[in-house]
Amino acid sequence: MNTKPGILLLLAALVSCSDDVDTAASSEISTSVEAAAQSSSVETAAVVDKILPYPMTQHQLANGLNVVTVPFDSPGTAAFYAVVRVGARDEVEDGVTGFAHFFEHMMFRGTDTYSKEQYQDALKSSGASANANTSADRTVYHMTGNVERLDLMFELEADRFMNLNYSEHDFRTEAGAVKGEYTKNYASPYQQLYEMTKNTAFDVHTYKHTTMGFFDDIVDMPNQYDYSLEFFDRFYRPEYTTLVVVGDVTPERVNQLAETYYGSWERGDYITEVPAEPMQTATRFVHLQNGNIPSHISLNYKGPAFDDRAIDMPALDVLSQLLFARTSPLYRKLVLEERKARSVGGGAGDSRDPSLFSIDASLIDKADMQYVKDEIVAAIETIKNEGVDQATLNSIKSNLKYGFAMSIDNPDSIARSLSHYIMLTGDPETINRLYAQYDTVTVADVQAVTARYFVDSGLTIATISEDESGGIQ
Amino acid sequence: MLRSSSRNTKLRSRFLPGLILLCFACSLVSVSQAQEIVELKLPNSNKVSIKLMFKNGSISDPEGLEGITQATASIVVQGGTQELSYSAIQDRVYPMAARYGVSSDKEVTTFSFEVHQDHVDEFYPILKGLILTPRFAEEDFNRVMVNQQNFVDQTIRASSDEDYSKKALEDLLFRDTNYQHMKQGSSASVNNINLDEVRTHYQEMFTKTNLIVGIAGNYSDGFLEQLKQDLQQLPDTSPSVPEPGAARMPNGIEVEIVAKQGAFGSVIFTGFPLQLTRADDEFAALMVANSYLGEHRKSYSRLYQKIREARSMNYGDYSYIEWYEGGGRNMLPPSGVPRSSNYFSMWVRPVQIASQLRQQYPELADLEVGHAHFALRMSVKELDVLVEQGLSEEDFEATRDFLLSYTKLYAQTPSSRLGYLMDSRFYGREDYLAELDQLLKDLTLEQVNAAIKKHWQVDNMFVTIITDVSEAQALADSLENNLSSPMSYSNVMFEGLSDEIKQEDALVADYPLNVRKVTIVDSADTFK
Repeated sequence: MNTKPGILLLLAALVSCSDDVDTAASSEISTSVEAAAQSSSVETAAVVDKILPYPMTQHQLANGLNVVTVPFDSPGTAAFYAVVRVGARDEVEDGVTGFAHFFEHMMFRGTDTYSKEQYQDALKSSGASANANTSADRTVYHMTGNVERLDLMFELEADRFMNLNYSEHDFRTEAGAVKGEYTKNYASPYQQLYEMTKNTAFDVHTYKHTTMGFFDDIVDMPNQYDYSLEFFDRFYRPEYTTLVVVGDVTPERVNQLAETYYGSWERGDYITEVPAEPMQTATRFVHLQNGNIPSHISLNYKGPAFDDRAIDMPALDVLSQLLFARTSPLYRKLVLEERKARSVGGGAGDSRDPSLFSIDASLIDKADMQYVKDEIVAAIETIKNEGVDQATLNSIKSNLKYGFAMSIDNPDSIARSLSHYIMLTGDPETINRLYAQYDTVTVADVQAVTARYFVDSGLTIATISEDESGGIQ
Repeated sequence: MLRSSSRNTKLRSRFLPGLILLCFACSLVSVSQAQEIVELKLPNSNKVSIKLMFKNGSISDPEGLEGITQATASIVVQGGTQELSYSAIQDRVYPMAARYGVSSDKEVTTFSFEVHQDHVDEFYPILKGLILTPRFAEEDFNRVMVNQQNFVDQTIRASSDEDYSKKALEDLLFRDTNYQHMKQGSSASVNNINLDEVRTHYQEMFTKTNLIVGIAGNYSDGFLEQLKQDLQQLPDTSPSVPEPGAARMPNGIEVEIVAKQGAFGSVIFTGFPLQLTRADDEFAALMVANSYLGEHRKSYSRLYQKIREARSMNYGDYSYIEWYEGGGRNMLPPSGVPRSSNYFSMWVRPVQIASQLRQQYPELADLEVGHAHFALRMSVKELDVLVEQGLSEEDFEATRDFLLSYTKLYAQTPSSRLGYLMDSRFYGREDYLAELDQLLKDLTLEQVNAAIKKHWQVDNMFVTIITDVSEAQALADSLENNLSSPMSYSNVMFEGLSDEIKQEDALVADYPLNVRKVTIVDSADTFK
């Protein structure tokens, strides 16, 4: 699991469940994706210098579907994940925000082989813990259960990915459930602020809207049946999808199941053209008036896209630890000593396109909002100008490694971690590359990313208080 | 106490020291020096998990100091030791990425520690210091209490209407008992707690006589011996933990509507007392019935199918035969919340309110009450059908088969496996999940349907509804007068409805609820 510090607003980014981290790419895989004429397999042996201590096999079907298998000591149990690299990012047309998430719901509405009632019965008979969730950059379908029923899981998943078929009425019906989900989430003022923050920080990129989408679009969803068919045709294709199976399995069995059930899936050709976000030129402000929760401030700086070949994101991850870990001077000052804040935390969101480095603080007294903001900025400046001692840097690297090592203690968490990196690069090996990069991060790297990304012209300040405005400069 | 005397006897006998040494798969139970030890050796694991479960939760809070058990436990883990301040501990723990924390519930408080095998020896003195010689520093106390005060003053009312509805229901079900109050306490009681009381509470209530020690992972025998020996330094007094309060059965259906400014929907939680826990073999039978009716987060259950899948009313609808911690975020039931006072409940996630529907659909411009009344009727009616007709052989077999596989997923990590084993001890069992497997295999349809008849009914229950102030009075009038509550669809939904759905809707709209009392409470007046 990613060890980035928890951030209230980032928690709101994922719709349905929770999700996280993982691994690094190999050139063989990239090549075979390009060629895509025949199946190919690559086995990555478990080696001591890789953060993932288990052997991982990748097998690519001729249609481009990548299959990742990690045998793990979990007798009788396996996790089966299907990662589709489509999310709110791909919602480029007007009026259809929230559609990737809505479509995730539609995937439970039956096929020609399994009517919706039969599908539900079959799902129950799998005895699995099954669900799905959507974020800005991907949709993940997951089943964890009895490995003896893995064939059924493959059959059910492949069937709906290839042969989904629902009526217009079922489509309209499911739209109501999405509205119900929005209603549930909207009870949290932090969710409301998150929605406002994205809408303010971005002008044209699709990260402007949350994964749930704009409420007006959600209300209009029942009228978008034709678009839903187009959506399925575009994105539910093998080249967008990676299967991840972790647990009491062998690569041979998994690859055979994949060939059997997904072999006839036809490749598509759609590529989303996401509008590039223009350079932000001045600090932006957004405020939520709500006196029923503690006053809150969120500083959101434009950050980089995830790139496992660049040092920026690993350096920013280290920076977030320097700033917000419970050992950090800032945390100690604001939370422990002066008790101006209940909590302070933050980090860069891993995303395919440039997104936000978000910092959140919950305040004891709203009168301290400007002070807390200034202290956070001062802490960033201190690191930028003075750097940090090597012992602290080493301590962070140790924390990141041990934190991850302790988190991968079951098939589900391993599959979830791999899914996160497949989302980002398409390649589960990214996890090993990222943790190798953490080892190479220098003080100069941290100072460089601090100077590059923490500028006022890239900042959006979001606040919650009982007042009409945030009153922050 | 509503529990039957026979079960009381059973529970107590299972808590007696001197349990027979039993070995299941990888778990070992032993009793040493009045301590109960639960072991789960996992030689291939890279870490060690330790849980210290004190059979002492919020029911032990003295009157006027509700929330003190939660506060005490929080200050232990968010504070220092006699030797090290909180900050000094963080400096040592951070490079190890060791994790520790506490969860407190009605009847137990569990401290959990997890550390990589590379750091066990280095970390252990911190664990030992926190439990045996907690610092209870003024600054740590102040910091923790400010947050706990904020939770009872603001967070519970403002962050999740769903959690709010559950706490509000327990407030009704357990009125005037030690089970009534939130573990965090109330606005007044948290304000009453001082540091001396916290110190005393820890000294008196967290003793070696009410402790179950759990350890899992890759540890040595010598390490465990050291742990056992050190824990002998805890006080050996027997805390006066009171008998758990029992849920009360209302006379008819009693509804409490909590009116809140700016609520976007209506969330419903309803329940009545249940004379059954995991300690009883019959629990497995009711588990099958409950899974069929409303398995948590499962789309194939009846409530979900009727309310969400067919009618698009909300995000999900579930039922429970025991407390489910963190229902909004957990897909599988977490360990660490065993309870001996139990209740059945149904959870209807937020449905639309009239003001929202009026804005969204011109055809609903005259609507006065949103979907809450219909959703409540639909839920109770589904329960009614089950009570009257029971499960079919086919549904019984499918649901039992599902549970035989699904319950094995409850404990996938070393920590959750250990947690389930420790909860087993609370219920007087050795290994609940293993025993459940056999109980499910041995079940018959007749036993399931008999359990339904014995434990479920639809005439008496408490209902809490969190809704917007604009909805409260009209909803209250509708419920109190048993007014017809036809389902209000948008035109695009209505035109595609099958005759079967329309006919069922007509029945639900006038399904009689035995409503005897409806009250409206201002959100500001709850948990004071």
